[in-house]
Amino acid sequence: MTDYAVRITRLNYTYPDGTKALEGIDLDVRSGEQVAIVGPSGAGKSTLLLHLNGILPGSAAVRIKGQSMDSADLRQIRKQVGLLFQDPNDQLFCPTVFEDVAFGPLNLGVPAAEIPRRVEKALLDSGLDYAIRSRSSHHLSLGERRRVSLAAVLVMEPEILGMDEPTSNLDPRNRRHLIEVVSGLKATLIIATHDLELVLDVCPRTVLMDHGKIWADGETRAMLADARLMDLHGLEVPLSLKSGTRP
Amino acid sequence: MRHSFIDRYASLDSPLHVLEARSKLLAFTALIVGVLCIPAERGSLFFIYFFAAAILMGVSQIPLTYIVGRTFLILPFIVLAGLAAPWKGGYLGLGILFIRAVLCLFLLVLLTNTTRFVELLRGLRRLGCPQILVMNLGFLYRYLFVLTEEAMRMKQARDCRRVGRARFREELKILSSMIGTLLIRSFERAERMHSAMLSRAYAGDFPVVSPRKFSLRDAAFLAGVALFITLSFWIR
Repeated sequence: MTDYAVRITRLNYTYPDGTKALEGIDLDVRSGEQVAIVGPSGAGKSTLLLHLNGILPGSAAVRIKGQSMDSADLRQIRKQVGLLFQDPNDQLFCPTVFEDVAFGPLNLGVPAAEIPRRVEKALLDSGLDYAIRSRSSHHLSLGERRRVSLAAVLVMEPEILGMDEPTSNLDPRNRRHLIEVVSGLKATLIIATHDLELVLDVCPRTVLMDHGKIWADGETRAMLADARLMDLHGLEVPLSLKSGTRP
Repeated sequence: MRHSFIDRYASLDSPLHVLEARSKLLAFTALIVGVLCIPAERGSLFFIYFFAAAILMGVSQIPLTYIVGRTFLILPFIVLAGLAAPWKGGYLGLGILFIRAVLCLFLLVLLTNTTRFVELLRGLRRLGCPQILVMNLGFLYRYLFVLTEEAMRMKQARDCRRVGRARFREELKILSSMIGTLLIRSFERAERMHSAMLSRAYAGDFPVVSPRKFSLRDAAFLAGVALFITLSFWIR
């Protein structure tokens, strides 16, 4: 039997205002896999991520590590599934970095004595210095904020990590840095993004979403090189695949 | 974009800064209550309190210009709000209101600039202030800057699309729609924040990490302030 981290069968979701966001989504992700979700804006990528830890209902269709969302303890699910939001300002709501990173583990009941060690490790794993802990989030650059957000998720030691546009708005150096950090992670990764170069770097498998449906699911290089498919769904073949310079 | 912070000097290391938040909260509240209780006919007491505030300012190592600048920035709002109150007191009443306001603001600026905002929040929490209130103050501190930035960007966008001055009525219309948009945006942000909190196993209690300890010097400071207030009202 294959070890599935995430199994989604026929997931539908309609927003309260009547907008259909997801229609009949089927998606299986094996433990340790790195999967990219690509597609135009409004395709339902973020909505799908919010289903992974039960933030949005309709979750009977979602199973995490074999556990159905409606039966399992949601806290347990949220310990296993970390979500990195698109805007770090939404994710960092505490007065200092330390408190933000400590927020998750404290909620999970990690003993106070163990907190500083956990926070330090998460900050280091995200490519930050421990000295940043006493700064306020609004004093940080966007690149630093994004990495603190990542630390705040990693500190909970999630087995599955969902990321929403992790590289958006970052300058090349910060983007490169973040990609290095992300590709070093052990967790099962599900990355929703427009950054197709990131996808090529990190994810062997890609899922193409548009209008709340999955249109393609397969090997990244083959899919992203398919000019007709990319064009049909408002994407474009990455430069590195076009010119053929990439080994 | 640059912001001015309400706790700009809070990370100094003066004898006032190293005190624990609770003792400072209690002491400064007591001093402010003391200022408010000074009867109008005992004007000399105001000097004594000014003197005490001056000593605290000296100890705090915060630049005097900063304290005075801050105070006079907030002052108009308070004096405006109190204009109608001392109707019977005439000019004298207004003068006393002014002096009281200045003294209280001195003390408040001192309190917020000798204690980091986080520590203040912890102090409030440990003094029994309701969790939900403290949490909201924390969010206010965190998101004030995000909101200010959003407002500044909206203002820039407006200025980019407008040539010359609009008439007052139109100006008001633009302003009200900007405020409305800001409100809706904050509402949406609050929803996203809540999702982010839930994602990190938030279950209704905001966790607090170990704060500064209440020590002997805090007790000494509190005792000193209590003695001062008692004496100031006792001795004639």
